[in-house]
Amino acid sequence: MVYITEAHPSDVWQMQSNIKDEVVFASPKDDEERALVAGACVRKLGIQIPAVLDEFGNSTEQAYTGWPDRLYLIDATGHVAYKSKPGPFGFKSEELGAALARLVN
Amino acid sequence: MRAYRFRVPVQENSLRKRLNIRMAFAHRTFANRRFFKRAFRVVGVIAVVWVLACGVLYDIMRRPPEAFARVMARIPGPFAFLVLPFETLWMRARAGHLQVGDPAPDFSLIKLDKSATVQLSALTAQGRPAVLIFGSYT
Repeated sequence: MVYITEAHPSDVWQMQSNIKDEVVFASPKDDEERALVAGACVRKLGIQIPAVLDEFGNSTEQAYTGWPDRLYLIDATGHVAYKSKPGPFGFKSEELGAALARLVN
Repeated sequence: MRAYRFRVPVQENSLRKRLNIRMAFAHRTFANRRFFKRAFRVVGVIAVVWVLACGVLYDIMRRPPEAFARVMARIPGPFAFLVLPFETLWMRARAGHLQVGDPAPDFSLIKLDKSATVQLSALTAQGRPAVLIFGSYT
């Protein structure tokens, strides 16, 4: 998981659904604050896959156009094997699963 | 309307009747034409405003995430999501330049537990594919 800029921080674009789910965080102001929110995310959602933090300049997010969420599969030669459409509409884990199955088999 | 008013001799009943029918028809046609002209103009104005709004929204979507989010927070949800084709515009605006088959941009990012740095090229050099899930808590 590549943890990137918040999609709906409370001080920018608060969503009612996040208030309901008690996921209310203001925009992190630096790497440390981003790491704190990311830590809360990983703990509360029970994420067990390796998680890395995009640096505060968002260079990785920009290279991959990853905001607000997106899926990629990189093959063993370092090339893009699957790229989802931009989230949230294009975030389809079943498509990723199919691409992964094609790559492995 | 006044252009259609003229006297018809009283004794020519049948002719008068026919002319009246014709005049009524012409009147109605004229009124219909005016109505359609006005309706066409209104629809045209709405269409132009709609296209302009789509262009503005598309431009906003191409801005950096925070700038986009700040604007979106001020736009009433139903307008952006129901009146405008938000999803269609979003898919285009945020498509990105990276294509399937392109070399994946390398990165070296710190793990959340700060135990190590993960470099994408180091993973793939081991002959392992990698899944990247971009996202945030909110």
